[in-house]
Amino acid sequence: MIPYFLTQLWKTVFLVSAGLLFALTLGSYVDNSLIESIKQNINIPMQILYAELIGFVSPGPRYILYPILATLRDYGIGTGVIIALLSGHVLIEPSTFFVEVGFFGYRFPLKRFLISLLVTFFAGLLTTFIID
Amino acid sequence: MLERLKKLSPEVKVGISLIVLSIILSIYSDKNIVHVLQQNRGLIIKILLLTMLAVCIATIVHFLIPPDYFKKYLKQNKLIYLVSASVLGILTPGPVYAIYPIVVILKKEGINNSILVSYITGQTIFGPARIPFEIGLFGMNFFIYRIVLSLVMAICAGLLYSWLSKVFPDKK
Repeated sequence: MIPYFLTQLWKTVFLVSAGLLFALTLGSYVDNSLIESIKQNINIPMQILYAELIGFVSPGPRYILYPILATLRDYGIGTGVIIALLSGHVLIEPSTFFVEVGFFGYRFPLKRFLISLLVTFFAGLLTTFIID
Repeated sequence: MLERLKKLSPEVKVGISLIVLSIILSIYSDKNIVHVLQQNRGLIIKILLLTMLAVCIATIVHFLIPPDYFKKYLKQNKLIYLVSASVLGILTPGPVYAIYPIVVILKKEGINNSILVSYITGQTIFGPARIPFEIGLFGMNFFIYRIVLSLVMAICAGLLYSWLSKVFPDKK
């Protein structure tokens, strides 16, 4: 159990540290005026749609998104957009899409992609109405 | 050199790519990255501590509940089991690649694809190891809301798959 724990720990800490570095470096390009301009010029449904599409194409394991989400939340990005990013990132990844094609044929991941797009969009909208 | 890179685990490859991207971004940034890192010292320490806690939880769950433990509960092949498939998905630990062998076996045993979709959706959007991150960074209310939302999303995904399969059926 301890060797397994230590292996997982170093891999995950390395990955999350790299994710943190990336999030903070990317965050240095973002300031309040940019976020305000996005919030004013792009309506909420489009923000949610962009967030989930960015999530879908973003590679990498689950934990690396949390530093980026924490930074975005501090800049005042809505919870609906955070939910869309969080769900979009894991529901379909380019790599798992091809794994599923191999196991189940192309129709299964294609339908799952369409459904994930729809479900995540409505989850983001619902969160915006309930929480934001 | 290339052979060595190929042998690295996916986590390490992604980590190295992120570090390289960060270096490129920091070259073009107007701000001093060292200063940015110092300013966010609190957040960095918090996230690293949460990461350690998450790995502890994931390790305990991994040894206490092997992923194929849930297999027997998913064998009841009725749409009403979308709920139990979603709950089991949320409770199943590990990365998404770890559940594909289970999903393939279930598929071979004739389990409805809608149930499999609910299970995969539940497993991917939530997981025991996410608990420290979500509570630590976003609070308990967000965490509870996420559990409920994940359950609803997984059930809806299964239902929509079932409906969509009537229009665009799976290949036999």
